[in-house]
Amino acid sequence: MTAPLDHDDIIELVREPIDALPLIRHVRAPEDGAIVTFDGFVRNQSHDRATLYLAYEAYESMALTKMREIAAALHEKHRIHRVAIVHRLGRLEIGETSVLIAVSAPHRAAAFDACRFAIDTLKRTVPIWKKEYFEDGAVWADGELPPAPVATPRAKPAS
Amino acid sequence: MPPVSQTVRVKVLFFGRLKDVVGQSEESLDLSDASTIEQLFALYAGRTPELAKYRSSVVASRNQEFASWDSLLHSGDEVAFLPPVSGG
Repeated sequence: MTAPLDHDDIIELVREPIDALPLIRHVRAPEDGAIVTFDGFVRNQSHDRATLYLAYEAYESMALTKMREIAAALHEKHRIHRVAIVHRLGRLEIGETSVLIAVSAPHRAAAFDACRFAIDTLKRTVPIWKKEYFEDGAVWADGELPPAPVATPRAKPAS
Repeated sequence: MPPVSQTVRVKVLFFGRLKDVVGQSEESLDLSDASTIEQLFALYAGRTPELAKYRSSVVASRNQEFASWDSLLHSGDEVAFLPPVSGG
């Protein structure tokens, strides 16, 4: 169902705390000269309300597919070497990492561009949802509606 | 010859606030005839009228790919209704 990963990338959904160092070590190679990492972690407030904790859930099979597509797009668009994209699910406390992205490349510009593209695309297209828990209740966070095909192309009837 | 009516069995998934609205996350459903994703959503909105007001802020997927609302369903398809995503 899912295409095998080329490039020795790491694409994962996890329920345990994310340890950045092994991921950064994994993408690092002698032929590279730069690694850019993005560490997204839980903020202690949302719209001026104090956040207690967050809970993330995902459509896991599709989320992994979409994360692999992002990695493939990075390799296609940028001169990079390896990618790690790891997102955590379940309950996360303030300050804990929810997503870690690491991109290695021979030169820094490609690594910066690719890392930015990866997190921006993840936030727009990967089916993951977060619920924010406050003192007085919980709400699903506002999100972005992923772009979807408007209509299915159909064969034109023979005229 | 009259058209043959076929049963189409699909798996339907709801996520995020949609799961809260319909009160379930997953269901296997036998549709009596060829249906589109739009018709499937309408079927659930018939059961749970509140769901209808989310229609404009939902995207659908078919077999883990974003799909248009006019997509025809086939037996064995997995359809999911997805509210705006908020990962990261």
